[in-house]
Amino acid sequence: MNTTLLVPARQRVGRNADRVGLGALIVASTCLVALGAGWVGGAFRPVVVLVLVAVVVGLLVLVAIGGPQARRLLAPYGLLQPGILWLALFFLAPVWSLLRISLSTKPSRFSVDYTFSWAFENYTTAFRDFGKQFEHAFVYAAVATVLTVLIGYPLAYVIAFRGGKYKNILLGLVVIPFFTSYLIRTIAWSTILADRGPTVAILHNVGLVRLFEVLHIMNNGQLLNTPAAVIGGLTYNFLPFMLLPIYVSLEKIDTNLVNAANDLYSSSVRAFRKIVLPLSIPGVFAGTLLTFIPAAGDFVNAQFLGSPNTTMIGNSIQDQFLKQNNYPVASAMAAVLMVSIASLVLIYTRLFGTGDLA
Amino acid sequence: MNTSTTSRRSGTTRRQFLAGTGALGALGLSLPALLAACGGGDSGGADSLFFENWPLYIDPTEGATLGTVDRFMEATGVKMTYTEAYNDNNEYFAKIQPLLGAGKSIEPDVIAPTFWLAGRLLALGWLEKLPLDKIPNAVNLEPSMQNPTWDPTGEYSLPWQAGMAGVAYNIDVTGRELKSVEDLFDPAFKGKIGMLTEMRDTIGLIMLGLGKDPSTVTSFDDAAGAFDKLDKAKSDGQIRAFTGNDYTDDLVSGNFAACVGWSGDVLQLQKDSPHVRFVIPEEGGTSWADVMVVPKGAKNTDAVAKWMNFVYDPAQAAQLSAYVQYVSPVKGVQEELAKIDPDLAANPLMFPDETTSARLRSWATLTEEVEAEFDAAFSRITGA
Repeated sequence: MNTTLLVPARQRVGRNADRVGLGALIVASTCLVALGAGWVGGAFRPVVVLVLVAVVVGLLVLVAIGGPQARRLLAPYGLLQPGILWLALFFLAPVWSLLRISLSTKPSRFSVDYTFSWAFENYTTAFRDFGKQFEHAFVYAAVATVLTVLIGYPLAYVIAFRGGKYKNILLGLVVIPFFTSYLIRTIAWSTILADRGPTVAILHNVGLVRLFEVLHIMNNGQLLNTPAAVIGGLTYNFLPFMLLPIYVSLEKIDTNLVNAANDLYSSSVRAFRKIVLPLSIPGVFAGTLLTFIPAAGDFVNAQFLGSPNTTMIGNSIQDQFLKQNNYPVASAMAAVLMVSIASLVLIYTRLFGTGDLA
Repeated sequence: MNTSTTSRRSGTTRRQFLAGTGALGALGLSLPALLAACGGGDSGGADSLFFENWPLYIDPTEGATLGTVDRFMEATGVKMTYTEAYNDNNEYFAKIQPLLGAGKSIEPDVIAPTFWLAGRLLALGWLEKLPLDKIPNAVNLEPSMQNPTWDPTGEYSLPWQAGMAGVAYNIDVTGRELKSVEDLFDPAFKGKIGMLTEMRDTIGLIMLGLGKDPSTVTSFDDAAGAFDKLDKAKSDGQIRAFTGNDYTDDLVSGNFAACVGWSGDVLQLQKDSPHVRFVIPEEGGTSWADVMVVPKGAKNTDAVAKWMNFVYDPAQAAQLSAYVQYVSPVKGVQEELAKIDPDLAANPLMFPDETTSARLRSWATLTEEVEAEFDAAFSRITGA
């Protein structure tokens, strides 16, 4: 008797398991976004936390009593839960709160609260006052990305195909400088390239200053303080992010393919163009994303190697957040930067993206 | 290792795994509460003190000569933390604003903002009254610095040091002595000029160069010419950087030929780098004071009183002055200093005589709206 009564109940849970699992995911992530974005305060906070805990516990109980079919259907949602909750709390909630502040105004100059008021003028200010900095950010980052490909690809090629037993040592040499802090390395460059430092002195003695001025690498006898210095810093700092993915995709290439091409009377240039290059494109693609995205938001290189006329949008955002205390405008700038980078990446993926990204 | 491999295959795994995940999730939820309970209990105790100050602003212990902090700890038994994280007034304000504005306390018991920022903090109600009854030495405060307009009763602040902003330069790079504000705009120094992010000093000096007086400013129009001049110099590439107190590195290394600088910093740097110089330009310089204030909710007010009393003892203040070489706010320091170092006691940059004082201007107190206008215009130029 008992068993026959229990079976339909199990089947019911089993049949609806998909919907239950999905619902639990949505409720739980909404709770987390609400907590993270600070919609709820005071007495409601424990309530939301309780709901969240109840949903997670309820899901576990259902899995325990729901029978094999329910378990099979619910398990994926249970496994998704940690990842989704993580995204909700550390991605959705911050983005939501950023967008909210970007449309808010401050009731008074030194207030710590923001009133949400659809203040689109923050975006107007961001474009009007900081257009130049946006331009610098994208141009410098793009040039630096191209330079990292030009330097990184041949280097990765040599390490992957000609490295032999020194492969690991060569890779180590690329990576070891990056064990030092990003900031220290950049400040070190500002010492190396200083006006009265060794590099400028050597260039003067060798007589290359005139040439470098023509090439716009130097300006006014200085290596620092120029767009070239900022781009150089970005290139240096992001090189491994380009080199390593390219290396990985080159490393995977079966050299027999190249040998086969040679056997079929292909020149080595043609073999490279037809075989090695296409097979390594996923690495280049991953490398450009890893380089361009952080470089466009960087402020350290422009701060230490540039001048007040080469500031990037990252500097302006940092200044508005940390010195001017203007969170609404700073958030608007950050939102514009995020959206522009996202659209650029989308276009880029459409144009050059590879389905089988390594 | 073995157990985990076998359990991965057995029938109970998934349930165990999910239960484990649930437990982890619960732990994750309770963890912030635990952390919150643990934090905030530091730097307690009646006998500790935390002073956050500007760089190059105190005498450190060098060999057998004890610095002020160590002498204070020895004399009173208070455990003192002294940091130099104060690089820029606006930056520091932005750092403490979210806390003090929300009614929370900040870690330091004493900070030394410049007078105008102290005035703002006072107006916002973010300062504690000083325990003046426990600071008998406060009577040693120079009469000219008593009861400033922004703290008319003098109950909230005691000056730490005062000084002036003028032209600092590296003679190895300039190749000549500088004497005018106009030298900062000399095309020969293109790309080698530093300006301070401290708006009042940078704009004040340029105003003086243009024959305007920052002590009588009432509206933005009074200073508009100085802003235009700065903006043009920036666009022309004359200016290398806008910096906080960290201008000293670039000045010593020669990246700056000249910059707007603070008197005592440069005098201190001269000990190791005789090629850096400081001059009050012939058009005049700005004078300012950095004042010790106690942020709202500071815990160790007894130790604060002991500290302020200690540094307002002329004998102690003289040892401090001998090192930092700013203008001391303590009466009787000149006499004490004459015993240690007669040359310093005669230095007009430390003890301004009548002719020097006559060339210095202190900024007028700006109304909030006017100040907002100044700050916005300045941040548009400094850009970063």
